[in-house]
Amino acid sequence: METDLDKIYIFKTNIEQLCTDCEVTKTLNNHADILQWSVDTDDVDYVLRIVSESLTAKTIINIINDLGHECQELN
Amino acid sequence: MRVRDIDKEKLVVINAIELIVQDGFQGFSMNKLAKACNISVATLYIYYKDKDDLIKKIGAEIAIEFFTSTIENFSPDMPFEKGLWIQWQNRAAFTFKYPKKVAFFEVIKQSPHAEDILNSTTKFSDFRIIMKQFIENSLHNKELVPMQFEVFWSIAYGPLYTLLNFHNEGKSMGGKPFKLTQDMMKEAFEAAIKALKP
Repeated sequence: METDLDKIYIFKTNIEQLCTDCEVTKTLNNHADILQWSVDTDDVDYVLRIVSESLTAKTIINIINDLGHECQELN
Repeated sequence: MRVRDIDKEKLVVINAIELIVQDGFQGFSMNKLAKACNISVATLYIYYKDKDDLIKKIGAEIAIEFFTSTIENFSPDMPFEKGLWIQWQNRAAFTFKYPKKVAFFEVIKQSPHAEDILNSTTKFSDFRIIMKQFIENSLHNKELVPMQFEVFWSIAYGPLYTLLNFHNEGKSMGGKPFKLTQDMMKEAFEAAIKALKP
């Protein structure tokens, strides 16, 4: 099924690296409201892409900030 | 509400092909692409997860388009010479019509994504089956000399691709201006057939 475009959130972050054991990976993998996520670590903006039915951009920013990373919504 | 904008998506595909052909796979970035399309980086990430995702999706789209075009008016039951000539015509027509797409595919072939792309849909295996059938029928009907697959492929298509490359570059050996004609294609085809037929 096609993802509803309104449920995709795009952020600029400073998540320069991802690994299976990282807090970011673990937290986002285990979050019940996050359907899909990815970080483009090759990009200068380390773009985080999140698909979620219920979360708001603000909540996602808080989650990432709590993990010790900067996070800013891209429009 | 966000609406899927088909025109914008097409613009992204055209510009991505252009940039990858120009800068290569390593020199390409989502930022450069967004700038070239005059759209925000965020919009690009709505459609594609990252550079790899974009390249795989566009690569698969072009590969399907190319393979579908190569088997137009073709059937694996055709006599060998006729079938191969149709393949030549189709492959040449696609290259003449979409030189950028062909150049893009050449870049992608060298990238680590080539296999992912070819395994992304069963359409590619269907295509392989059709070609295999064509070769088997031709061998069975004694219209083709038995030889190793790669040897067959290089003789059957190599001459055409060399000529198409010269054509795309606009020059041949030593920078001599070059334009591929139907006559030249036929001449090369006849030479290839001589090597392939018993």
